[in-house]
Formats: sequence, structure tokens, C-alpha cells
Amino acid sequence: MHSRLLIGLLMLLFGLPFGLLGLLALAQGWHFPQALPPAYSLAALRTLGAADSELLAGLGRSLLLAGTVALLATAGGFGVARAVARSRWSRQWEAASYLPYALPPVLLATLVQPFIIRLQLSGSGGGVVLGLLLVALPFATLLLRSFWSVQAREYEQLARTLGCSARQAFGRVLLPLAWPLLRTTLFQTFLLAWFDFGLTNVLSVGKVRTLTVQVFSYVGEANTALAAVASLLLVLPPALLLGLNRTALWRRPG
Amino acid sequence: MALDIRRFFSTTLLGGYGLLVLGLPLAGLGYALLGSLGLAGPLAAGFTPRYWLALGANAGLLYSALFSTWVALVSVGVSVALALSLVLRAQPTLRRWPLPGLLYVPLLLPALVLAFCLFQLLSGAGWLARLSYGLEWIGSPADFPELVQDSAGLGIILAQVLLTFPFLTLLLQAIYQESRLDELRQLSSTLGASAGQFRGRVAVPLLLRRAAPTLLLNFIATLGAYDVPLLLGRPHPQMLSVFVATRQQFDLRELPMGYLAGFLVALGLLALIGILIKLTRRHAL
Amino acid sequence: MKKTFLQLLTLTLLAGCSADQPRTPQQVLAQPWAQVENAGRQQPVSMVMWQGDPLINRYMTGYVKPEMKRRYGIDLQLAAGQGAGLVQTLAAEQAAGQHSEADVVWINGETFYQLRQVDALLGPFVDKLPNARYLDLQNSFINTDFQQPVAGMECPWGNVQFTVIYDSARVSRPPRSFAELPAYVRAHPGQFTIPNEFTGMTLLKSWMISLSDNPALFQGKFDEAVYRKWSGELWRVLNASKPYFWKQGRTFPEQLAPLHQLFANGEVAFTFSCNDAEVDNKRNQGVFPATARAYVPAPGTIQNSHYLGIVRGARHPEAALLLVNFLISPEAQLKKMDPNVWGDHTVLNLAALPAAQRRQFEQLPTRRYAPRRETIQNLALPEPDPEYMTRLFKDFRTEVLEK
Repeated sequence: MHSRLLIGLLMLLFGLPFGLLGLLALAQGWHFPQALPPAYSLAALRTLGAADSELLAGLGRSLLLAGTVALLATAGGFGVARAVARSRWSRQWEAASYLPYALPPVLLATLVQPFIIRLQLSGSGGGVVLGLLLVALPFATLLLRSFWSVQAREYEQLARTLGCSARQAFGRVLLPLAWPLLRTTLFQTFLLAWFDFGLTNVLSVGKVRTLTVQVFSYVGEANTALAAVASLLLVLPPALLLGLNRTALWRRPG
Repeated sequence: MALDIRRFFSTTLLGGYGLLVLGLPLAGLGYALLGSLGLAGPLAAGFTPRYWLALGANAGLLYSALFSTWVALVSVGVSVALALSLVLRAQPTLRRWPLPGLLYVPLLLPALVLAFCLFQLLSGAGWLARLSYGLEWIGSPADFPELVQDSAGLGIILAQVLLTFPFLTLLLQAIYQESRLDELRQLSSTLGASAGQFRGRVAVPLLLRRAAPTLLLNFIATLGAYDVPLLLGRPHPQMLSVFVATRQQFDLRELPMGYLAGFLVALGLLALIGILIKLTRRHAL
Repeated sequence: MKKTFLQLLTLTLLAGCSADQPRTPQQVLAQPWAQVENAGRQQPVSMVMWQGDPLINRYMTGYVKPEMKRRYGIDLQLAAGQGAGLVQTLAAEQAAGQHSEADVVWINGETFYQLRQVDALLGPFVDKLPNARYLDLQNSFINTDFQQPVAGMECPWGNVQFTVIYDSARVSRPPRSFAELPAYVRAHPGQFTIPNEFTGMTLLKSWMISLSDNPALFQGKFDEAVYRKWSGELWRVLNASKPYFWKQGRTFPEQLAPLHQLFANGEVAFTFSCNDAEVDNKRNQGVFPATARAYVPAPGTIQNSHYLGIVRGARHPEAALLLVNFLISPEAQLKKMDPNVWGDHTVLNLAALPAAQRRQFEQLPTRRYAPRRETIQNLALPEPDPEYMTRLFKDFRTEVLEK
């Protein structure tokens, strides 16, 4: 009984936002004190079908940005983690990795913005990717650091003694060994970029209109239906990831 | 020779990494310092200590820091309490369907979307207020209790708790299982300890100690939260990130003050990160 | 090791700086119009604007964008930005001696002033535009922007007057003047608040001028003594009424759209607009109740214009000129003035238009809920120096909001 109550409560708590988003996306002229919308309309959802749909473009932009960041951060993090593991200053490098990862993204963005402008990356996807990598790369490095243990090194050496080339040892031994962790890192860095609003908004000077930036601007113009549709689009990929692999959504670094 | 090349590659990689993750933020910090002294920025007119001196007269930043600390302490505190009570008191439920999966659901929500939902749910004209009106508990939006954009930051705290506690529950549950606390519990009860004694003297300290770095990381993240307070906060008091980001809305001449605030906040958080690193070392991996 | 970092950092920064330099304004503006038209075709053009209103956004994306594509093959890209944030970005780009990410900016008042201070605008360019001959540049509400002569450095785009919007179902007799407002608020607590942004500051400016009873005081350059005296009076009046504001004056909306929503949900009975026709467009969209009305309280409210500037370091200055020229064309201005589209009053001199076009302007679906322009023109106050706005914004925070 106790346990059912708990489950019911949590389901209600976690389900409420989704139900509300659905209603808001379909509601028309819904004002206080009506508990349910007086009329429903597919107008907001239909904007998704339009050829020049800003929401669909935003979805594409968000996917592209987050995908690029995930790939770069995971591949880079794998290499950096290896270099860190073998460096004389391994501990110092680990400590340094916490610096950008622990600063609030908006603050980080305001700090590095003058340099992003000088690099002529302000307001471009490249600038946003660079900014997000600032957070995602150390995060990936910290996550993947645990893989490059003495054991991994021994496996690599063993493979080499058994006649593998460096490339074979990497492709046939190390990569399969690291794959579960790499997959988690890919998912995690993807979500990190996917969920970001503050950093993207500051570094893109409002020009790279990802889904989160659109949610914020629709909320700003009190356009709740479109804000709800954009929110639902934002929830979609993480939900797919959850279906694919639950643990991918959750992992602590270090 | 091959070794040398590899060594060179590795050094270059680390060099590039350092340039990105240390060089860029530190350069930004330096630029902010120069900006706050009137030495850099669009309207810089030469060295002036004016903005640093004005800091004493302007309590805004301090107030913001206090408010952020309050929100972060309460959010993390409540989240930890909830997670601990679930892990220690609802162990069988936690292992049964649908709970572990259910706890992943809030991780799907970006902070901004959760904040938007909470506003739609809890504001004076929100959904709960409408239900209350339908039940004739309230006569107008003004009668509904202030749950978002309130002076104590309740809305922000609620959002942060909803984002944090499921994650913490999963974390503590993992530690609980890794540390074989169930076996320890059985052992201690055979030795005559009560369930309360086991929880208070063994389980809670162990869980908290092992989760400490993550908790501190969460605390820092909440201190610097931006998306949630942007939608659920008030113009006054503001949380730190919002404070820093809104310093330059109307007047370019306020910009050095913005640089100064950014510099000080970043410095403060870096000190906290220093503590975090020490903690991680002590309870190494 | 550290030395290598520094060298690398310097190298990267240098690489960023060595890109091509923008052309000077003289070089751009020396071209004859036919050449501008040729050079501007098939270019992208980026415009930075306030994006807080769905109808305005729809006018830009649903009408201007496809028209620019159709006429010139120009790809119009819209970005959000305004105020000091915009100035900061443009100034930083300017300082780095590089092209700007923005070509056209939607500005007025303090942003225009600050952009001129950092010399980030291209011009004077207005004379260059073929459609400039229709502009009503004799009108002081159009040729002067917050006491600064426009001088061809920004092109007028629209002209609006501040109005108070109320719900006639809840408010039978709204306060007809600023002088009656405090007593009204006291008698009807919880219905009134001030948005802590541009529109709210315009309300405060109008209110401050009405307290002084002498609008002439606020002409010309910023006067510290005048500001101190009358802002002090304003804070006194506001703080005395504050307990009767929405939520007892303990908080204020940060944006206009949330205030409109409070109004739509009946949480407050008043909202405001810097656009006198907004009540019609919000009413037509079903955002405001059918009973929403707008008026101008005595002795008057601020009427101002908003403008389009071209960025000095613009990547596509010719395409920018084509865009601005289109935006002040009679067609685009007519479309924009329709309350169902935007409701922004034209900056064209109707007398200068061909008779057929003039008739179209005169036969627009009339405003049904907003006051007619003729009746509020004598209640129009000119914008004071931008410094008044900047100071009010700063002091409203310390003197009212944080108290």
C-alpha cells in the first residue's frame, strides 16, 4: 500500500509536466479560470508541417550542434584522457578539467565571448560548438579517464606482443573494451549540448536559434502553444535515448 | 623514434586541451578583470578603481550571492533528504518495476522546459489555481498562494529539487548496492543494532561521504543556475547567473560593473571547485 | 609548457584578426543606386531586432522575408537582440576591425545614441534610398530621436504613442489623467503594476513629465537638477501607491508579454503598450478580452519613432540598403499599419504619395478599440534625452523595486 502510494505519487508528479505540455500545445484561447481549454486546435502542431518551419529548422540545428559536440567531445576526450593518464602531471590535468566543467555555462560564455568575437565565431554555429566543447570536452575526459587504467595499458601491450599492429590493437582490443563507456559518453555529451540554453544564447547573440532558444523566445512573447510544441520536441530525443539505453542517461564523472 | 612521435602527439594534444579548457576561461577572467578596471571593453577610458570602490556601496551582488546560497542549500538539502529516505526506507519499492525507470523520467526534461511547466502549473492563473477556483477555494488569482516568482525562491527551489532528487536517488542507490549495504544491515541487526542505529551510524555517513563530490558539484551547479531562475525568479532578489547576465540591459556604462560581478562570481566558484578537487582526491575514485 | 600555450593563444588570436577589413562608409555610399541594386542581389542580409511580439515576428518572416527573396533574391536572416547587449557586440566587432555579424539593426533612443558614440553606424544613408522621398521628415516626432537629430544615420520605420490598456468589463471609469491614477490605484488594489522594461520606463517618463506640469523642462540635453527633482517626486508617488499595486508591489513583471498575460487572465486590469494600435491587434488575435480598450491619459504620453540603422562593418551593406528601402516602401508600410498585421503607424507623409496609394492608407480597417490618431496627437509628448530613460531604469530598481 505504502509502496503503491509512493509510485502513484511519483508518476503523477513526473507525468504532470508532459500532460500539461500536451494540453498547452493543443489549447486555443485558454484563459483563467477555465480548467480545460475551451477549444482545441492543431494550429501550433501544424507549423511543423510548413516548408519553412522555424521549429523544424531548430530541431535540425539542435540535432546537428549536439551531435557534432558529442562526437568531437567523445573522440577528443578519449585521446585526451589517454594522454592525461600517461602524463607526469596526471592529477593536475584532472583538476584542471573541473574548471570549465564546474563554472556555470552562462558565466563561462560571458567570460569567453570577447575572444569568440575576435576569432570571428560570434553568432555562428562554430562559436557555439567551441563554447559547448569547453564544457563537454573536460566532462568527457573525466568520464573516460577511468578507462585508461593500468589494466587497459596491459591489454594493449599484450595485444602488441601477440603481434597486433598499433592500429589493430586500438581497433580490435581497446575500442571494443571501451565501447560501453564511449557510448555513455556520447549520450551524455549529446544531452549536455542538447539541454543547453544559456551558453548558446549568449555566444550565438540570438542567431543560432536552437530549440531551447526558441522555447525561451516563445515564452517571452507569451506564445504558450508554440513554446509547448518546442518543449515536446526537446523531450523527444532524450526519450528515445532512454528507450535505447537507460544507463546512458545517468553517469557521474570521476 | 615512434615513441618520440607519439610523445610529441600526446604533448600537442594536452597542449591544445590546456589551451581550450584552461587558456580560454582564464583569458576571459583576465579580460573581465581588465574590464572592471576600465582597461578593456568597448567604452574603456583608462585605469579607474571606481567600479571596485562602488562595490562597497552596492549591496546587489552580495544580496544575490546570499540568495543563491540559500536556494542552493535548500535545494540540495531537500533533494538529499528525499533521496536518502527513498533509498533507506523504500528499498524494496526501489528495486521493483516501475521505479528505477520512473526515476529517469525527470532527466528527460531540460531545466528551461521544467521551469516553463512549473510556471504554467503554479502561477496565480496557472492550472492548480484554476482547479482551486473551480473548487471554490479561491475567488481570484490573487488569492492563490505565491509559489513561483516569490520572494523566498520557492519556485526555483522546487524546480531544482525535481531536477536533482531523482538523479541523487539513482546515485545513492548505486552506492548502496556497490557497498553491499543490505548485507551490512543484516549483519548489524544480527549484532543487535536497531534499524535506526544502522541508518544513522552506518548507512547515512557512508552514503553521504561517498556522494560528497557529486553533492558539492550539484551545489555549485545550483548556485550558478540560470535557466530556472530566469523564468521562475523575481527581478529582485536575483540569482547570481541572472544578476551577472542582466547587468548590461540598458546602459553600456554599466558594463564594467558587469565585468566586475562576473569576475568575482567566477573567482568565488573557482574556490569552491578547489575544495571539490580536494574532496575528490581524498575519496579517490 | 606554459610558454607554448601563450604562443599558441597569441597565434590563434592573430589569425582571427588578420581577416579582410570592411569597406569605409564613403566607399559604400558613393555607389549609384543601380550599382547598389546589382551588388545587393542574391546576398544574405542579417537584421537584429526585438523579437518579443509574435505579430511583428510574423510580419517579418511571413511577409518581408519572402518579398525580399522574390524581389532581389535576398535571404533575410533575423536575429534577436537590442539595447546595450547589441551595442556591446557591435562595439567589440568594431574594435577588432572586422565585419559585423549584423547588417541592419532595429533601434531608437539610447541604442542609437550609444551606437553613434562607438561609431558603429554606417551613414548618412537615408538620402540614398529612392523611397526616402515619401518620408515625413518635417515631423519632429520622426526627424528627432530622443532629442537627437536623426541626420540620415538611421531611417524612420514606424511611429507609435504610449497608451494605457484596460478591461472595460472590470474598469468602468479608468483614471483620465496621471494625477487621478494614485487615488484610483488606492481604491482598486491589486489591479495595477509597472513592467520593468522599455514600455514600463516609457510609462514612468510620461508620468514624470506630467508631475512636472511643464514638458518644456525635458527638452534638450539631460538636466541633472530637473531629473533629480522630478524623479524624486515620481518615486515618492510610486512608493506611496506601491502597497496597492499587484502583489502589494513586492514584485514587478520583467517583460511586457507576461504583463499582457496577467491582463488576459484577469490578474490585473491594466496593461500598457508603446504601440497605440496594439489593443486592436491583440484583441483580433483573441489574446485580450473583447472588452479591452486603450486610451491616453492627460496631460499626454510619449510619442516616438523607431528606426533602422545599417552597421558600419556590415558584410552586406548593399543588401542592407535594399532591405531598408523596401521596409519604407508604401506597400510595406501599408501592410505594417494594418492592425491585423502589426498596427504600426506609418512614417510616410501621406500627402507626398500618389492619390491611389494615399486612399489605401486612409481606407485601412480602422482601429476599433484604440483611440484614433487625430484625437491623441495633441496629447503627444516628445521623447526626452536618452539619459532620462537610462537613469529611470537604474533608479526604479534601487528606489522602488528593491525597497
